[in-house]
Amino acid sequence: MNYPFWDVDIGYGILMAVIAVVHVFVSHFAIGGGLYLVVAETLARRNSDTLRLEFLQKLSKFFVLVTVVFGALTGVGIWFVIGLLNPAATEMLIHNFVWGWATEWTFFVIEIAAAILYLYGWRTMAAGHHLIIGWIYFIAAWMSLFVINGIITFMLTPGDWLQTGAFWDGFFNPTLWPSLVLRTGVCVMLAGLFAMVVASRYDASDFKARVVRFNAAWALVGLAITVVSFLWYWRAIPVAITAAAEEMMPSVIDSVTNSYWFAAAIGAMAAIFGLIFARRQHLIIAIVTLAFGLGWFGYFEWFREEIRKPFIVFGYMYGNGVELSRADVMAREGYLGGIKFRTRNDSADLFRRACQSCHLIEGYRALKPAYDGTDTAFIAGTIRGTGAIVGNMPPFLGTMEEAAMIAAHIYERIDKRHLGEIYGVNGVELGRIVYDIRCGKCHVFGGYNDKAESILGLSDQEYHDLLDMAGELSEEMPAFTGDDREREALIVYLKSLSEGGTP
Amino acid sequence: MSLPDYNFLAAPLWLVTTLHVITLTLHFATMNFMVGSIIIILFGRFEDKWNHPVVRKLLKLFPAAMAATVTLGVAPLLFVQLTYYQQVYSAAIVSGWFWLIIIVAAMIGYYLLYAGSFSRSGDSRPGVWLTLALICFAYISFVYTSVFSLAERPELTRALYVSSQSGVVVNSDVGHYLFRWLHMILGAMTVGAFFVGVLGRDDEQTYRTARGYFLYGMVATMIFGLVYMFTMGEYILPLMRSAAIWILTLAVILSLGALHFFFKKKFILSGLMLFISLPAMVLSRHLVRQLYLEQHFDPADLAVRTQWSILIVFLICFVIAVGAVWYMLRLYGAGEKGAHTA
Repeated sequence: MNYPFWDVDIGYGILMAVIAVVHVFVSHFAIGGGLYLVVAETLARRNSDTLRLEFLQKLSKFFVLVTVVFGALTGVGIWFVIGLLNPAATEMLIHNFVWGWATEWTFFVIEIAAAILYLYGWRTMAAGHHLIIGWIYFIAAWMSLFVINGIITFMLTPGDWLQTGAFWDGFFNPTLWPSLVLRTGVCVMLAGLFAMVVASRYDASDFKARVVRFNAAWALVGLAITVVSFLWYWRAIPVAITAAAEEMMPSVIDSVTNSYWFAAAIGAMAAIFGLIFARRQHLIIAIVTLAFGLGWFGYFEWFREEIRKPFIVFGYMYGNGVELSRADVMAREGYLGGIKFRTRNDSADLFRRACQSCHLIEGYRALKPAYDGTDTAFIAGTIRGTGAIVGNMPPFLGTMEEAAMIAAHIYERIDKRHLGEIYGVNGVELGRIVYDIRCGKCHVFGGYNDKAESILGLSDQEYHDLLDMAGELSEEMPAFTGDDREREALIVYLKSLSEGGTP
Repeated sequence: MSLPDYNFLAAPLWLVTTLHVITLTLHFATMNFMVGSIIIILFGRFEDKWNHPVVRKLLKLFPAAMAATVTLGVAPLLFVQLTYYQQVYSAAIVSGWFWLIIIVAAMIGYYLLYAGSFSRSGDSRPGVWLTLALICFAYISFVYTSVFSLAERPELTRALYVSSQSGVVVNSDVGHYLFRWLHMILGAMTVGAFFVGVLGRDDEQTYRTARGYFLYGMVATMIFGLVYMFTMGEYILPLMRSAAIWILTLAVILSLGALHFFFKKKFILSGLMLFISLPAMVLSRHLVRQLYLEQHFDPADLAVRTQWSILIVFLICFVIAVGAVWYMLRLYGAGEKGAHTA
């Protein structure tokens, strides 16, 4: 909270994803592509395969234009965007890992110089020298991955660093090695898939069949490494984290499931169209296979970011930049006193600091649909109980007054009509919506914190009593503040479930 | 709850500052070469410009120069953020969108340079591409100057943030940093002129063009530098009393010496003086920042907890990187013996 807050109408997650995801695609391709080029060049030179060498020369031009320009600049873009979105976390990472980053930079220097010389050296250098530069490129690029991987994995599994604060404890953290193997597999896979796109543009010929098969085999090896190492990676994540994800974050588990489907699709496409029908592989098929590859990787990155929630550095700093070590102080003193850049609108400042890193009123992870038709008391109650809401949010660390101020800020921006009017429903259907909005964020039937056993099958009076005392059941639970129409509809809905209805 | 603190410097301040100055000098050298040469190609007199061997050579060199500029720009950004994190991030957030668009502008400029380098001899389209690339680089340098000037003024940063939180505000004290920016752009032109002069030393017209840009560029750089100094207001006196003024004087003397030897066609001496003047300029720029921030922040107050082992790893890797680049350039320079026949 030592920094201004960048108040934009695009969700932070979207902004980060646009730059970071694009960068990780290109940067992994840059590493795998380096290995692909130098291995393929070695084989082509050994077999005096001039056609293959011409293909590789073309590929390396595309490769350098994509990686050195786009890859390098989106990498710098990540630096820019993390400093804007979460300066506190960036400051924390830089202070701890500055020499890690500086070391990575030395490999980056070698990598960029080698890439350019490799491209311009095709026609001007001795074959052996050209290959040496290719190998130097790959080694430097992979070393760059090795270093940055240590910092990225630290954010999910800081390991012993939480006790010692020592650089190497943070760097050699529990997920360093599985993540490194996994990312190496991704590099190899993406290089094969990218090369397949370039090769698919050739007319059907023996040469095309040969190159496409080589590329498909290359991609399949990468895929195999990736899938196996993902299982290793999953097991390396502390059980407390994966268990919380399974319980509270369906989107994380969905992304794992989807990634398996994507992996299956890549395997099938590469095997069928890359190995069996290699001669006639069409550009569109190659692009679709590549898209599956990028989709798989996108899901992995999404999974990695999501499973860390509610932290930006697990067990150390929350996503909104609040350090865990300051939680007790903040619970006593609140947010406002710690905000160094204030705008004379305390409610807006509080909303930004406590909520806006992850939620907008409308748009990205919108709050409006969650609060339309409700009231300030309910909103304030849910803010105080954020730690119990499905999705794994950080606890609210402000005071009661601050929760009320944030609630007022949100309330001014939501639809104030009755829920029945907003959704155009009555009776059981209205009751279902009332449940989803007022209860379902913390109690999912058949899922997270399910209370079906204690709230189904009660009498009308018992339901009324339960709703009257809802705010007293736990500190994190808001009182039921809906009007009589909502109350009756909710009871009708709960009774319908008791009679065998579906949630 | 007892968790590790991160509010420390992982190396002595002098080392961080030295690395910042060295890497920023290298960044400025490549950036000045690129931007300065583009300006001279676009506005200078060259016979049959798009067929001219010096222009063709420069067009081929620009993508590599851009790559070097970007690569060498990462390290000083890292080191300045390490020490002046509070000021730099705050200023960048206030101008968030302008700051972020730097990446887009750099990408466009980079691809335009590649388009120029892949063009055929005699094709005049590189003129359009270089113009557009120059606009991109002018944007980048202007926003950089704006944000880093703002970073030196915490009160202004605060006031601008109160006026807008959406990252659409630029440093409002344009009169102050406009001259700083012009000083830098014109300084780049003199460095560019040096390289153009060296590459075209055997062609009298090219040399004369370069000499003109070197001379008038340096005069203009000094004038704008002086005007910039006068816009510093209350900070002029402390500047006059600080080491910065001596370093600045040294930089000016070295620049004049570089100009003198350039006129005498003693390029090695000229280049030596020009490139020694660069770190002197960078260092005085650093001292001016400290002067501005004196009332708000002293990096010497930061706790130092040197991470020796990884620092040594970095230094070893740094030496390896320099060696590897030198080795690869040697291989590249060894020529085409054995190149494939495609």
